[in-house]
Amino acid sequence: MTPTAQFWLLIVALGIGTWSMRSWPIILHGRVPHPPWLVRLLKHVPVAALTALVVPGALYLHRGIAYSFAPARTIAAVAALIVAVRTKNVLATLGVGMGVLWLAQMALTALG
Amino acid sequence: MQNSGRAPRTRHSLLTGILGVLPILVGVVPFGMVAGAAVRQAGFGVVESIGMSVVVFAGASQIAATTLLGGGAPLWVALGTALVINARMFIYGVSIAPLLSDAPGWLRPILGYMLVDQNYASTMTDGRFRDDVDIVWYYFGGGASLWIVWQISSVAGALLGPFIPTSWGLEFAVPLVFLAMLAPSLKDGTAIGVAVVTGVAAAIFVPLMPLQSGLIVAILVGMAYGAWSDRPKPDEAS
Repeated sequence: MTPTAQFWLLIVALGIGTWSMRSWPIILHGRVPHPPWLVRLLKHVPVAALTALVVPGALYLHRGIAYSFAPARTIAAVAALIVAVRTKNVLATLGVGMGVLWLAQMALTALG
Repeated sequence: MQNSGRAPRTRHSLLTGILGVLPILVGVVPFGMVAGAAVRQAGFGVVESIGMSVVVFAGASQIAATTLLGGGAPLWVALGTALVINARMFIYGVSIAPLLSDAPGWLRPILGYMLVDQNYASTMTDGRFRDDVDIVWYYFGGGASLWIVWQISSVAGALLGPFIPTSWGLEFAVPLVFLAMLAPSLKDGTAIGVAVVTGVAAAIFVPLMPLQSGLIVAILVGMAYGAWSDRPKPDEAS
């Protein structure tokens, strides 16, 4: 199989698999029971999922499977967290986070 | 009389959903560009990058699958990794399904296709607290906006990506946007506890566990902590 054919196979298989995981709970809703313990667990999905999406990117750089601590990112993420809590504004958080990242990268490079 | 006012309400809901994701779109653009550029870096063309973004429509998994296959990993490893990364969407689906239960059967497969981190977060942290919108159309408006911006920026990334220096760190915009969406949800002790527990678990497990499966473990640990923290006390159990 050529690399391009392999890539298309990957696209189709990943597309079907991803669509299934996202869609079946929505399609079948109402036909599957929601016991109270499940409701209690699901209540916390938004906070848990968003945190899990933030933390690795705020602490580490990763290339392939190798993770390395990235202090500039951590400094920038802390600054962005303060702005996010204070302003609740996505654009302000993004602006301060990226600005501090660039400053911290320059400062850390200068310090050697 | 029953029908009067329904179309304006649908339009208002769509518009509110679009406005809800508007600031998030700023973070989607660099993310989409990285996903598009990754396809070129892996040695494939612009058509393949469009195919990937349209068929899969799930950023982190697209980047992982593309870079793994391009780096010589077997097809099943690339596929398995990407599916593990997307397994959190099953949890999103179970969590958001009650809100979308008014949607007709024909619409549900499309709503499922639109279930990405940003649309889930916008609906769960903003849309569901508004009583002036139909949540299904709010969600649809956000999903459609994200889809359009994702496709445009991933094509732009496939075309321009090779010229953007990695030292700009543009992909850092992605966690920053999630951070901004997280902050308003941290309004009580339980929520802060869930964030701390999940954050520590993610910091430990994501680098240690294979195939980014640490992400799901961290989410499950945080959910379990939250449910335990909210458990019915013996004297108020019903």
